[in-house]
Amino acid sequence: MIGAVGVSAPAELRLRLADLYAGYDAALDEGAYERWPEFFTETCLYRITSRENHEAGLPVAMVYCESRAMLADRVTALRDTTLYAPRLLRRVMGMPVLVAVAADGMRLQQSFALFETLLNEPSRVFLCGRCYDRVVEAGGALKFAERVCVSDATLVPVSLVFPI
Amino acid sequence: MAADGGAAGRLAGRQWPAERAARVPNWVYTDPDIFARELERIFEGPSWLYTCLDAEIPEPGAFKRSRLGAREVVAVRQKDGSVAVLVNRCAHRSMQFCSANRGTVKEFTCPYHQWTYDLDGRLLGLPFRRGYKGQGGMPEDFRPEAHGLERLAVTSRNGVVFASFAQPNETLETYLGPKMLGYFDRVFSGRPLEVLGYQRQRIPSNWKLMMENIKDPYHASLLHVFLITFGLFRLDNPSATETDETGRHGVLVSRRGERTVNEATAQLRQFRQTLTLADPRLIDPVREFPGDATVVMQTVWPNLIVQQQSNAMAVRQIVPLDPGNFDLVWTVFGYADDPPEMRRRRLRQANLFGPAGLVSIDDSEAMLLSQSGIAAGEEADNVVEMGGRGTEDAPHMLTENAIRGFYRHYRAVMGL
Repeated sequence: MIGAVGVSAPAELRLRLADLYAGYDAALDEGAYERWPEFFTETCLYRITSRENHEAGLPVAMVYCESRAMLADRVTALRDTTLYAPRLLRRVMGMPVLVAVAADGMRLQQSFALFETLLNEPSRVFLCGRCYDRVVEAGGALKFAERVCVSDATLVPVSLVFPI
Repeated sequence: MAADGGAAGRLAGRQWPAERAARVPNWVYTDPDIFARELERIFEGPSWLYTCLDAEIPEPGAFKRSRLGAREVVAVRQKDGSVAVLVNRCAHRSMQFCSANRGTVKEFTCPYHQWTYDLDGRLLGLPFRRGYKGQGGMPEDFRPEAHGLERLAVTSRNGVVFASFAQPNETLETYLGPKMLGYFDRVFSGRPLEVLGYQRQRIPSNWKLMMENIKDPYHASLLHVFLITFGLFRLDNPSATETDETGRHGVLVSRRGERTVNEATAQLRQFRQTLTLADPRLIDPVREFPGDATVVMQTVWPNLIVQQQSNAMAVRQIVPLDPGNFDLVWTVFGYADDPPEMRRRRLRQANLFGPAGLVSIDDSEAMLLSQSGIAAGEEADNVVEMGGRGTEDAPHMLTENAIRGFYRHYRAVMGL
C-alpha cells in the first residue's frame, strides 16, 4: 500500500503507485535486471549515494545514471563485463509514502534495508537508507523520473553490484 | 630499541624467498607482527602521508577528520592560512574530541571535561583549573603549554596536504623525486580544485594489495573487461610503467587506442567486440591535459593513489585497519573553474569507480579473493616475474616492475 503524509491522494492513484513499486520490487527481487530500466522515464535521473554526500550537497554518487539507456548500460556491465563473487542481495523495502504533489511530479519516499549473502557466508546487513523519488505520468503509465537512494552508512562493505 | 627488539625477534623466523624481488611471500599480508611493524616504520615513520585537499578546508577553522595509519587526526585551517594536523585525542583523558568528518570551528573543545584547544592545538583553558572556593583545581605547577594536542609535521603542494608523525628528512618534492613530481603536478597544477564528493569502502584484504593493484598494468589489460571492451585501457595502447628511484612510488600511463581486433585482443578471451553502450555519454572522454596520455594512475608511498582516468579524477586514501582489512576513501574532485558540462562528465565517468564502479568492482572483488587465497596458504609465495625480475621502467604494460620496485623499498624500510 501507499501512505500519504500531508497530501490527499485518491485511492485509485494510490493503487497505481503501489503497482509501480510492486512491479519494480518484483523485477529486482527476481534478479530480472533487464526489466529494471522499464520503470524509468527516458531522461530519468538515478543515483545511489551516501548521506555524507547527500546532506553536504556533494553531487558525486556511487551510481549516477542520467537516462534509461545508462541504466541499461549498468545492467550490461553487471551481466557481461564485471567480476564479482557470487552473491544475493535481499531487499526489504518499506511502505512508499507520498509526501508532495507538484507540477513536475509526485514526491515519494521509501526506506530500504539490504542484506547481502555471499556463498558459504552468513547473511549480513549490507546497506540501509531511504529513497527519494519523483514519479510522473509518461505515456499512460507511472514512471520514476528520479530515484535517489541515500545510504545511511558512509562506508560500503566491499562492492555494490546490484541496483537498489 | 627494546620495543623493537621484541618485534625483530618475532620476525627473525621470517625469511624472504631467495628469488628476492621476483617473489612476495604470503606472510607479509597476514602476519600481525609484520602489520605492527608497518604501522611503526611506514605509517608512523618518516613518510609523507596524504591527509586532505586544501579545497576541503578553505577558511580558518574549517577541518577535515582523517585516519593516518592507525591514528585519527584532524586537519584544520589556521588563521594565517597554513594547515595544522592534530591527533584526535584530548591531552587530558585521551578522548576523541572531534566526532564530525568535516565542519568549521573557532576552537576545539573536548566534550568530556571541556578542555579547550586553539586551532593550532595549544591548550587554551580548562574548567576549574584554579578550583572552586579554594578547593580542588590543578596543581600550582600545571603548565597548559605542556598539554597541547599532538601535532604532526605538515607539508603541501598545489592544494594537496601531507602530514607525518616523524618529520621526514626530505621535502615532499625530494620525497616524490623529479619524475613522480612531474606526474603529480600534471593533475595538481595549482588550478583550484572542487571536491565533488566522497566514496568509502571497507575491503577485506591487506592494504598492500591495493597498492599492488594500481602498480600492476598486467591485470588492467585482462581483468577489466569494461575498460578493454570500450578501448579505455588496453595492453595494445601505447603505455608506460615507471617508478621513482627508490621504487616506492609508481605510475601507469596509458594512451587511448582504437577499438579493434588485433593480435593482442585475440589473447583477451574476455574482449567483447559486439558490446556497445546504449548511452555513450557514460564514457565520452574529452582531452584536458597536455600530451597524449588518457590514463595516469599514480601511487604515492604509502597511502595515496592519484587517479586520472579520462576525466574521472580522485584521490584514493588507503587506511590500513589490520592485516586483513583496509578502508579505501575516495575523494572525487574536478577543477573549480570546470564548465557545467565538464562537471557532469566527471560525475558520469565516476560510475566506473568506487564501491559500485563498473571497473573498480573487479578490483575490490579481486583483492577479497586474493586475501582469501593468501590466508589459505601462508607458506606460498607470489610470483612476480612478468617483464623480468628487475625494477627498470618499461614502455609497456606487460610488466610487474612497479610491484618489484615497491617491495625493494618495503624490504629496506621493514628490515626484511
